[in-house]
Amino acid sequence: MTSKRKRAIRTNLIGYSFVVPNFIGYFVFIFLPVCFSFVLSVMEWDGSDVPMKFVGLKNFVKLFGDSTFQISLKNTLWYAVFTVPLTLVAALAVAILLNSKIKGIVVYRTAFFFPYVASLVAVGAVWNMLFQPEFGPINELLRFIGIENPPKWCASTDWAMWVIIIVSVWKYMGYYMVVYLAALQGISKDLYEAAGIDGATGWKKIRYITIPMLTPTTFFVVIMLTIQCFKVFDLIYVMTGGGPGRSTNVLVNHIYNAAFVDYKFGYASASALVLFAIVLIITLVQMRGEKKFTDFV
Amino acid sequence: MKLKKVTAAALAALTVAGSLAGCGNSGGDTKPAAGDNQESGAGEVQSTQQSDAGSATGGESTKLTVSVWDNAVSPQFQAIADAFVAQNPGVEVELIDTQADEYNNKLTVMLAGGDSDPDVIMVKDAETQVTMKEKGQILSLDSFIAGDSLDLSIYDGAAEQLQLDGEQYTLPFRRDWYVLFYNKDLFDAAGVAYPSDDMTWDEFEALAEQMTSGEGSEKVYGSHNHTWMAFVSNWAVQDGANTLMSEDYGFLAPWYEQALRMQDNGIVQSYANLKTGNIHYSSVFEQQQCAMLPMGSWFIATLIQDKADGKIDFNWGVTKIPHPEGVEAGSTVGSVTPIAINAKTDVPDLAWEFVKFATSEAGAEILADNSVFPAVSSDTVIDKLASIEGFPEDGKTALEVKSLVLDRPLDAKMAAVRKVIEEEHDMIMIGEEDIETGIANMNERAAEAREE
Repeated sequence: MTSKRKRAIRTNLIGYSFVVPNFIGYFVFIFLPVCFSFVLSVMEWDGSDVPMKFVGLKNFVKLFGDSTFQISLKNTLWYAVFTVPLTLVAALAVAILLNSKIKGIVVYRTAFFFPYVASLVAVGAVWNMLFQPEFGPINELLRFIGIENPPKWCASTDWAMWVIIIVSVWKYMGYYMVVYLAALQGISKDLYEAAGIDGATGWKKIRYITIPMLTPTTFFVVIMLTIQCFKVFDLIYVMTGGGPGRSTNVLVNHIYNAAFVDYKFGYASASALVLFAIVLIITLVQMRGEKKFTDFV
Repeated sequence: MKLKKVTAAALAALTVAGSLAGCGNSGGDTKPAAGDNQESGAGEVQSTQQSDAGSATGGESTKLTVSVWDNAVSPQFQAIADAFVAQNPGVEVELIDTQADEYNNKLTVMLAGGDSDPDVIMVKDAETQVTMKEKGQILSLDSFIAGDSLDLSIYDGAAEQLQLDGEQYTLPFRRDWYVLFYNKDLFDAAGVAYPSDDMTWDEFEALAEQMTSGEGSEKVYGSHNHTWMAFVSNWAVQDGANTLMSEDYGFLAPWYEQALRMQDNGIVQSYANLKTGNIHYSSVFEQQQCAMLPMGSWFIATLIQDKADGKIDFNWGVTKIPHPEGVEAGSTVGSVTPIAINAKTDVPDLAWEFVKFATSEAGAEILADNSVFPAVSSDTVIDKLASIEGFPEDGKTALEVKSLVLDRPLDAKMAAVRKVIEEEHDMIMIGEEDIETGIANMNERAAEAREE
C-alpha cells in the first residue's frame, strides 16, 4: 500500500519536474509581471527607488480625461474594426482559391505566406517607399490613371491609418490563410459530392458547405485577429511612429510612452489594464457567440 | 484527487516564492527564488540568497566606473580615460557602455538600483540632470569646486547654464552648436559668393532661393531643413528671449511662416517627403542635393571622415549660423553634455578628480584631438579643431562662438512638453493644421503636460 503510494508520488514528481522549468518561466516572466501591473495601476511610481505611493483610482480618472488616451482608443478601435474583417475575407478567399490541385500550388501558397515571415522593419520601410506621396510608385500609378490629387498617405492624418490597415492585411493574411487551408482539408469530400448530385455549383458549394463548415475556424481567427489588432504597435512604430500628429497613435503606443518615455509606471499600468479589460470583454462575447453558432458541427 | 492536491500545493508554494522574490527584494540584483528547484517539486522552496555583491569585491578606492554611450564609435571616452589613468598610476577606469538610444533608460535603471556604479555619469541629454537631482541621485559639486577653487569662466557661461537652483550638480564636458554647412562646388558652379559669417535669416532665405536650381531628379535645393523641430524652434530662441518651456508659443509663428514659405517655394525639400521617406540629412548634403545645410557641429566630424573615406568628392565649407535681425553674429543655439557624480559612489574624491580632469582644458584638448567639440573653447582648442586634417581652411569662423543659447531649457517637464509640441510641429509642417491652430494646440497641450 505505502510502497504503491510512494511510487505514485514518485511518478508524479518526475512528471512535475518536466513541467516545472516551463512553469517557472511563465510564472516569473508573465504571471508575476501581470499581477504586479494590477498593483501598479493604483500606485504612483517612476521606477526609481523612491517608494511607490498609493493613489487609488486617480490613474484611471486621469486616463479618461487624457486627450491622447481618447485618441489612441479611437484609433485602435478604428484599426481593429477594419483590419479584422478585411484580413478574414482576404485569408478565406485566398485559402479557397489555393485549396485546389493546380500546378505549382506550393509556390503560390508560399508566396502568400511569405509576408508573414518577412522582417517587419523591412516590410515597413518598403511599404513606406511604395506609399511615398510625391514619387512613390503607388501615387505615380494613381496619377497615371488620371487621379489628379492622390492621397498623401502617411503624410496625411486622414490616410495614414489606412496605410497601416492595408499593410497589416497584406502581412497577416498569409498566416490565417494557412489556418483556413488546414480547416478546408478537414471538410469531408462527401458533402461536396452530395451537393453536386443535388445540382449545387461553385458559389453555392462555398456558400452552403464551405463557409458553414469553417465556422469554428472563423471564430478562432476572429478572436486571434481581434487580440492581435488591439496589441498592434510594432508596425505603427516602424511606419509612422504614431504620426502625423497623433493620427496613428494606438493604445500600446500610449502605454509605451507613459512607461518608457515619461516613466509613469502607475499610469501606464492603468492604461494597460483598460486595454486588457477591452480585449477580455470582446473575447468573452465572441466565445459566447461561438458556443451559440457552432453547435451543429 | 491526489494529483489535484499536489498541484495545489505546488501552486501555493510557487506563489509564495514568487511574491517573495517579486516584492521582497530591495537590492535589485537578487534572483527569483525557485530557480533550481526541480527535484523537490511540491516541497519546500529555497529562500533567496542575500549576497553582498557590492562589498564583497573589496572596494579599494582605485577603481572608477564611468557610464558612456556608443563607446565603439566614440573614441573620446576611452581617450579621456586613458589620459586620466596615465596621470594617476594605480587607478583603474572602467567604461560602462550602452547604446545611445537606450542610454537614458539604462541609466535610470542603474541609478534606481541604488548601486555605487557608475561612479561618474556622462549625462547624454542635459535636461535629465534635473530629474537625477530631484531624486537625490547626483552629488552637488559646489564644495569640490570651492575646495579646488576651480575657475568656471573657462566654459563661457555653460557652467552657469547647468546650475539648478544656484547649485552646480554637473560640469560641462562637451558642447555642440549649430553652424551653417555649404557645398563650395555648387557655389562655385553658380558663380555665387560663399555664405558670409554674418547673415540674417532673411538674407539666408534669399541666398537659398538664389542657389535653388534644376528640376526633377536633377534639382538642387538652396538649403535643407531636417524634420526636427529644432529647425524652426532653434532660430526662434536664438535671441535668448524665449524658451521652449513657454506659456505662449506665439513667438514661433514667424519662424513657421519662413519654414513653410521656403518649403512652398521649393527652396527646401518638403517636410512630408523627408518624414515619410525617413531621409537623413547627411545623405541629402552628401549627395549634393542641397547647397546649404544648417546643422550641429557634430556633423563636421562626419564630413571629415566621409571625405577621407572617399564617400564624398566635393569641397564643403562651414561658417557661422545665420541670426535673427538685431542679434549679433556668432550667437548660436546648441546643447551641452554634462558630467555628474553618482550620489552613492564609493569613491567620491576619485570621481571628482576624473570630472575635473575631463572638463579641464587638458581634457578639452583630448576631445579636440578626437574631433569632438569640448565645452572649453580656448584658443588652443579652437586651433586644434581647425587644424584637423580635412577641416576647411576658411571654416575657423564657425568655431568662434559669441554666445550660446541652450536649445531646450533644463526643466524636468521638458521631455513631456517636447513630445506634445513636436506632434503639433508635425501637423503644422505637413499642412494639416495652420500655424495659428497648431500654436493654440501647443499652448493648450503643453499646459496639460506641465501640470502632470
